[in-house]
Amino acid sequence: MGLESYELGKKGEEIAEKYLVKQGYQILERNFHSRQGEVDIIAKDRDFLVFIEVKSYSYRSYGSPVGAIRRAKKQSLIHAAQTYLYKKNIQDTYCRFDVIAIYKKFNGEQLIEHYRDAFYIC
Amino acid sequence: MLVKINSAAVLGLDSYQIEVEVDSSKRLPGQSIVGLPDAAVKESRDRVRAAIENSDFQFPPGYFTINLAPADTKKEGPLYDLPIALGILSSSEQISTKDSNGTVVLGELSLDGSVRPVNGILSICLSLAGKKRKILVPKENADEAALVRGLEVIPVQSLKEAVGYLGGSIRISPHRIDLSSLFKKDPEYGIDFSDVKGQGHVKRALEIAAAGSHNLLMVGSPGSGKTMLARRIPTILPPLSLDEALEVTKLYSVTGLLHGKGSLITSRPFRTPHHTTSDIGIIGGGRIPRPGEVSLAHFGVLFLDEFPEFDRRVLEVLRQPLEDGHVTISRAHSSLTYPAQFMLIAAMNPCPCGRLYDSKQSCSCTPYEIQRYWKKLSGPLIDRIDIQLEVPRLRPEELSAMPEGEPSRNIRERVIKARNIQRERFKDSGIYSNSRMNPKQLKKFCELDKEAEGILKSAIIHLNLSGRAYDKVLKVARTIADLERIEMIEAKHIAEATQYRSLDRKGGEI
Repeated sequence: MGLESYELGKKGEEIAEKYLVKQGYQILERNFHSRQGEVDIIAKDRDFLVFIEVKSYSYRSYGSPVGAIRRAKKQSLIHAAQTYLYKKNIQDTYCRFDVIAIYKKFNGEQLIEHYRDAFYIC
Repeated sequence: MLVKINSAAVLGLDSYQIEVEVDSSKRLPGQSIVGLPDAAVKESRDRVRAAIENSDFQFPPGYFTINLAPADTKKEGPLYDLPIALGILSSSEQISTKDSNGTVVLGELSLDGSVRPVNGILSICLSLAGKKRKILVPKENADEAALVRGLEVIPVQSLKEAVGYLGGSIRISPHRIDLSSLFKKDPEYGIDFSDVKGQGHVKRALEIAAAGSHNLLMVGSPGSGKTMLARRIPTILPPLSLDEALEVTKLYSVTGLLHGKGSLITSRPFRTPHHTTSDIGIIGGGRIPRPGEVSLAHFGVLFLDEFPEFDRRVLEVLRQPLEDGHVTISRAHSSLTYPAQFMLIAAMNPCPCGRLYDSKQSCSCTPYEIQRYWKKLSGPLIDRIDIQLEVPRLRPEELSAMPEGEPSRNIRERVIKARNIQRERFKDSGIYSNSRMNPKQLKKFCELDKEAEGILKSAIIHLNLSGRAYDKVLKVARTIADLERIEMIEAKHIAEATQYRSLDRKGGEI
């Protein structure tokens, strides 16, 4: 991973966090790591505990950002989420996986897309 | 919250009730289906999600465990989509199913939330008959379900409608069907026995075969009309009785062959598998055994054209169902029995080139080729064929003459009368025709007069009849006497019946 894309990702996560706070989410955790996975942002949205994956693009991609999350990434998110629930001893709480995609337009404007309940365990 | 919805599963021809249990818990989102589901059941997860979202409901958050109880039998097919969707919606308390107590729910869901037809509805309804149950079925299956009395059949077209009905906001009146109107229409065939020129003796033999449900083999040169005659057999067969029709329809329903055939099959099946059909295709089979051609021809006709061209294994597997009237197929997962009371009509050439009996043309086959051709038909198989006859080529004057045979309608009337005699005779004994008599019944119902007994005795000696062939002669004679409505079997009946053992007469080869 080049430095440029690392910076882009960092920047994206900051933007996403600002966006979520504005939406009334309470940020609980940034870059939570478990042995076999990681989650970019963990936040509380009213009753829901939300695990958020942030995808940053320097261009307008054509595929769906949800589609860009493949099995390995899913497993990593699920593992991290399970670890978080276990460590904090959280039970009886509705959980959700969201994806936030952030695009940089040619004119430097940001575009944020929020996919709620992007995927589930099967 | 835990919700239970009643449903049913089909195994072979029978069905049993199951419970679809849905439990939701506040966890990471997801769902799992347990209770030995097959691929089609597992896939319902994706159909149900789309159907719920496209029916203006919200797919609820949380983790869903779906159990199909009892958990030790395999569940097949997409018929649990609707009960699963209802279970998910009601476990998240979006809808109420308080009125659903004991209601059996079945149906496949389309992604847009509409309910699609499923297989095996008749079998499920028959197993629930008389229990005063309510059953929610796809609209396309409503006619089929309504054939069974003592059930309240509620047809639904969409998930929304099902939810509305169970919640009490939509009223759907139970579907009813007039059984007698289904039997009123006479089937239209477009072909008739009067189309066939000459071949009077073959028509007579086919009439006897139809009257007593006897197996028949026609041997004749190409173009003599064997196939043409066989195809016209359905036009002289008696209509199915209600019980028979239900049994045949049940078979077609679980096999998924009922679509487009109406709700009830009222005419006898006529199956003509090609000679490349495998033994599994004929007898039935598969991981979870499905009925084969012998079962699909139940109460009807299995017509095997070019008889010796069939695979040897195919011909030999026919022996058991011919004798027993049913087949039991055992596989690792399950052992199932399907009914197979069919009449076998077979047609073949006398030799590979087909000109063996021809007086005008000479046969180009070597004796070895002819022997090999006939070797395909084993003794035990030929023994099981009640009526064996030769179909000669038509003479030029017969060919050029206008066809002027008896119309099928007249023959059918005689056949029906003969069948009615048999139905009366075998009342409460579980069989419907002379060909199915067991030795005890044979003794009781096939009384011979003195002269007839004498002829039969000499026939046994001269034709070297086997024990089974002897029984077959008696059964055919019984049917011939029934056609004439005579109680006691006479000499002429026995004489005609022995005439139909032409392969015995010639020692296995014509």
